[in-house]
Amino acid sequence: MIEWLHPGFIYIFGALLIPFLKGKWQKAYLLLLPVLAFVDLQYMSTGVFWRIPFLEYELVFGRVDKLSLVFAYIFVIASFLMTIYALHVERSGEHVAAFIYVGSTLGLVFVGDLFTLVVFCELMAISSMFLIGYRGTRAAFEAGLRYIMVHIFAGACLLGGVIMHVQATGSIAFNTIGLNDFASYFILTGFLINAAVPPLHAWLADAYPEATVTGAVFLTAFTTKSSIYVLIRGFPGVEVLIWLGAIMAVYGVIFAVLENDIRRLLAYHIISQVGYMVCGVGIGTTMALNGATAHAFCHILYKALLFMGAGAIIEVTGRSKFTELGGLYKYMPITFWLYMIGAFSISGFPLFNGFVSKTMVLEGAALAHLPIIWLLLEGASIGTFLHTGLKVPYLAWFARKEPACEAREPPKNMLVAMGLTAFLCTLLGVYPQILYRMLPYPVEYAPYAVGHVIGMSQLLLFTFVGFWLLRGMLHGTPTITLDTDWFYRIGMKKFIWFCQKPLMTFSSSVNNGLMKLVSSIVWFSRNPAAATNIMVNSVAFVVLRPFNPVYKQYARNLEELKKTYPGNPAKSVAVGTGVLLTLVFLAFYLTIYFIYA
Amino acid sequence: MGKIEMKHLFWMLYACLFVSVLVEVLLHLSPHFHAHAAFVWQEIPGFGAVYGFIGCILIIVVSKALGHHWLQKEEDYYEKH
Repeated sequence: MIEWLHPGFIYIFGALLIPFLKGKWQKAYLLLLPVLAFVDLQYMSTGVFWRIPFLEYELVFGRVDKLSLVFAYIFVIASFLMTIYALHVERSGEHVAAFIYVGSTLGLVFVGDLFTLVVFCELMAISSMFLIGYRGTRAAFEAGLRYIMVHIFAGACLLGGVIMHVQATGSIAFNTIGLNDFASYFILTGFLINAAVPPLHAWLADAYPEATVTGAVFLTAFTTKSSIYVLIRGFPGVEVLIWLGAIMAVYGVIFAVLENDIRRLLAYHIISQVGYMVCGVGIGTTMALNGATAHAFCHILYKALLFMGAGAIIEVTGRSKFTELGGLYKYMPITFWLYMIGAFSISGFPLFNGFVSKTMVLEGAALAHLPIIWLLLEGASIGTFLHTGLKVPYLAWFARKEPACEAREPPKNMLVAMGLTAFLCTLLGVYPQILYRMLPYPVEYAPYAVGHVIGMSQLLLFTFVGFWLLRGMLHGTPTITLDTDWFYRIGMKKFIWFCQKPLMTFSSSVNNGLMKLVSSIVWFSRNPAAATNIMVNSVAFVVLRPFNPVYKQYARNLEELKKTYPGNPAKSVAVGTGVLLTLVFLAFYLTIYFIYA
Repeated sequence: MGKIEMKHLFWMLYACLFVSVLVEVLLHLSPHFHAHAAFVWQEIPGFGAVYGFIGCILIIVVSKALGHHWLQKEEDYYEKH
């Protein structure tokens, strides 16, 4: 007996009603849907539900266990906070896209078979594209187009892998896949793209900063974290993920130094933070998998908060570049302090939620005796605090004596959303047991051991010293930074140039050559005898010219021949010759006939 | 922020820096303390401080060098090329 609705369908079908509601009713309805879904989650029991026969397989829409529930909870909570943040948005379409995006993510979290997994993945990609496109600028349109093409590629990898997997195993059940055959390589590649693992990550830093202010907040949470869920489910303990994750964590940090766009800097920190989770999945112990799950949970909250803060600046000033910002503390102190809670959380300061989850992944690396991984992840923490905790607030809210432009606090709903998110970040930091109880495996970890607290505090405090010494180097410069999207942005341009220039030249020369051939055949067939005569004479003329004393006369004769061509072929042959030829052919035919008959 | 306030903040910062290292040194000196360190460097008091400081400077210098010599381009790079 199922007493609950599928929470994903609450969002997806609920979204279809949004355009028909106006004003306050629409706002109330937008807030109602996540609340309904949250209540729904309370009634869910673990087990496998919603099995639907399909061809000779069985689709499973409701596989409910601790792992899927913890992800579902954070997605629903995050969508509620983000909806508050987006309440002032008038365009219904944007809300519809966001809700279908959230719904398909929830659908993905509960799937138990690979076919449905592919379907929800595609739905996520398509609906999220609209959150970028609604910005309305040309840059957003182009970035959205690149975004969807990358995700279609990821979807194709996934679908190909799934089909091969089904061929090989005969089952579409989605359980631990592991890395053992071609099928699994394809499926893993699909989700590595969705999780933005370098070098397949460039779509994230390319597209998210171009999205609408509220759409970007939604984007930060769902695509990458749902991939982490799939990786935990399908690829725990796959060793290559340890290194990919650790490199990813540092990669994002290094690129963030160079960014001049506030949201692009934060987008690189999504890549960096997801690196911790990917690494945790790779380590694959219960501590590390718990750590990856917990970090995904916390990350969704603080990253949403950071994007909300950055979005607030863009909303009121219309500017997003550090070179055009600065000194805004005078106008936006509340936004600043709420942003800082997000910054402290992502940096992993004790008493904020990043600390209670990030240190779990680090502990996982320590218990698995991976010294280099541990150092890389710890180093990424330094960079995280350096940028999101120091560079962004310094360059956006301070750095100049006079504010760079007029500003004010953002609309109330934005502040409320930020306040609630900040509250949750702090609550989980102070009282991590709420989170730990939800994790898939029993937690035997005390985040507030003296060693952890002191180590992390030292690390971050002395990062500040380094920052203060070199703060002059960190000012934004009006540049963009090349990343692996260069290969398809420039590569495609070069490819199209190749098609338009060399390839087109070649094809038109082939075309011209063929046309010439055809016309010469036509010319020849108008009077083959005279044509042969002209051709032989022209060749003879060229070859014999040095030895021919009367070549001028010869040339005149040749000109005459060409001028009268094709002449009258019928007249030039006498009747007797015609009869003779006919007789010869007849004799030939008869001979053949008598020999073979 | 006024000048005096900034000065106070910096005194607080120095105090924090000092205390965070001091506590660890004292902990390691205490006879009741048993460090359950997974790696050698976790037994060195003040390792976090040194790593944080050096790491911060390395990250800034290395990535700025990468950007300056290779990755950073003018804003209309993709329109031009």
